Amino acid sequence: MERHILGYKCRGCGHVWYPNRAVCQDCRGTEFEPVPLPKTGKLLTFTVLHNLAVDFEVPSLTLGIVELSNGNRITGHLKIDQPKIGMKVTGKVEPVRQVGYHTSYGMVFYKG
Amino acid sequence: MRDVYVIGIGITSFSRLEYPLVEIAAYPAVMAMKDCGLSKVDHLFVANMGASRLNHQTGLASALVDHLSLTPVGAETIENGPASGASAIKAGWMAVASGLHDTVMVVGAERMREANNLETTDFVASLTHPLAEQIYGVTLPSLAGMFTRLYMEKYGVTSRHLAMVAIKNHNNAMLNKFAHLHEPITLEGILDSDDALTNNPMVADPLRFYDMCPVSDGGACVILACAEVAKKVKRPLIRLAGVGQATDTHCVHERKEPTDLLAVRGAAAQSFKMAGIKPSDVQVAELHDAFTILEIAESEEVGFFKKGQGHIALEEGYTSLTGKLPINPSGGLKAKGHPVGATGVGQAHEIVTQLRGEAGERQVKNARVGFTVNFGGFGNNVVALTFIKEK
Ligand SMILES: [Zn+2]
Repeated sequence: MERHILGYKCRGCGHVWYPNRAVCQDCRGTEFEPVPLPKTGKLLTFTVLHNLAVDFEVPSLTLGIVELSNGNRITGHLKIDQPKIGMKVTGKVEPVRQVGYHTSYGMVFYKG
Repeated sequence: MRDVYVIGIGITSFSRLEYPLVEIAAYPAVMAMKDCGLSKVDHLFVANMGASRLNHQTGLASALVDHLSLTPVGAETIENGPASGASAIKAGWMAVASGLHDTVMVVGAERMREANNLETTDFVASLTHPLAEQIYGVTLPSLAGMFTRLYMEKYGVTSRHLAMVAIKNHNNAMLNKFAHLHEPITLEGILDSDDALTNNPMVADPLRFYDMCPVSDGGACVILACAEVAKKVKRPLIRLAGVGQATDTHCVHERKEPTDLLAVRGAAAQSFKMAGIKPSDVQVAELHDAFTILEIAESEEVGFFKKGQGHIALEEGYTSLTGKLPINPSGGLKAKGHPVGATGVGQAHEIVTQLRGEAGERQVKNARVGFTVNFGGFGNNVVALTFIKEK
């Protein structure tokens, strides 16, 4: 089954929030419906981080912020050799962090 | 509301301090009581971010109020991330301005170097959004790195400008005996020479080692009082004239314009309005330069310079110690150090020292209006204070 990252669509005004919030910033509504976020978008900015938390067993991580095709923005991992601001990217939901027995899944973006 | 004055100040060195946290808090408190000649206060606020995690201690204010033999007066610990210090000053200001108390002691204290560097990085990263940032290994330096890349792209800031912030603040810290780093650095050493990448490696590309503040232990104290008490104390009259605070989205990716720091803009505007001044009236400022880019960006957001012009002012020497508006004469977080919960109180300590004319070799001449920005999270909770010396 394909995994998705969920946005939260306000039942009052239709705005999709990511991550979730208890009260809608636009209409003050409090009811939301989970909707899968799109996986394609463009890269807004990125960094290569060399000083990582102990549980990451890699020397560095490339992190980025992506604007998805529906306008939502998301932070994620980049598996891209030479990232460029504005490039098109496509995400997959994959394991991004392992702390003890707990695996967190998140968005990993690839070129194209 | 009543006018509120800073009547006493104290500080420790910001460095590695091999003392229990309560001693790091008590030392500047005793110094501040001696400074103003009071031996008792009506209330105590303590700013701290990490004691429960880094030092296995909770209820720091309760420990300190007794250690200072101030019981039974009230005491609270205030945690607002790296803006805890200015938040505690704000709480003290509210207590005095409202008439609830005549004298309030505000202490900021942090002992971060008891833990190893990776634990400390992970502790500070707990400020980020647990589900949308932390799971990716996002840290404060990584958010700053992404912010810097956009700033460079949009406004033409270069690594050279960032290095100029570091060099200026390291030079200022050379004149501050309380500063963590007494280490002059040069463009040659950190940017231009063949060894530069070894001396100054990438941490969160494009930010390098010397773009980051050190991890410090330290404590600072200010004692606030109403006019009646302040006039009896034989110290220069420094009024805490403006208090502003604003917040922004927890996730950095949710900000409409990712190069804006709206909480800085909002907090500063409120602080200036309350004080009845304009940004151009400020003569000395301490800005929250946990990363070099932040000094540039904040100098614009508070209204000292137009958006995108901060690095030009820096380049022209406008913000250096002998410039028209010296920024971070203490050395800033960059070189004075950043004991997170204590930092905001440390900034106020520097501004009061400057306005009193007691800053020695780093004295900004005839400074009468001073300003601080204390920045929590990656700009999601910001407190700005304005101080005015009265005649
Ligand atoms: Zn809504």
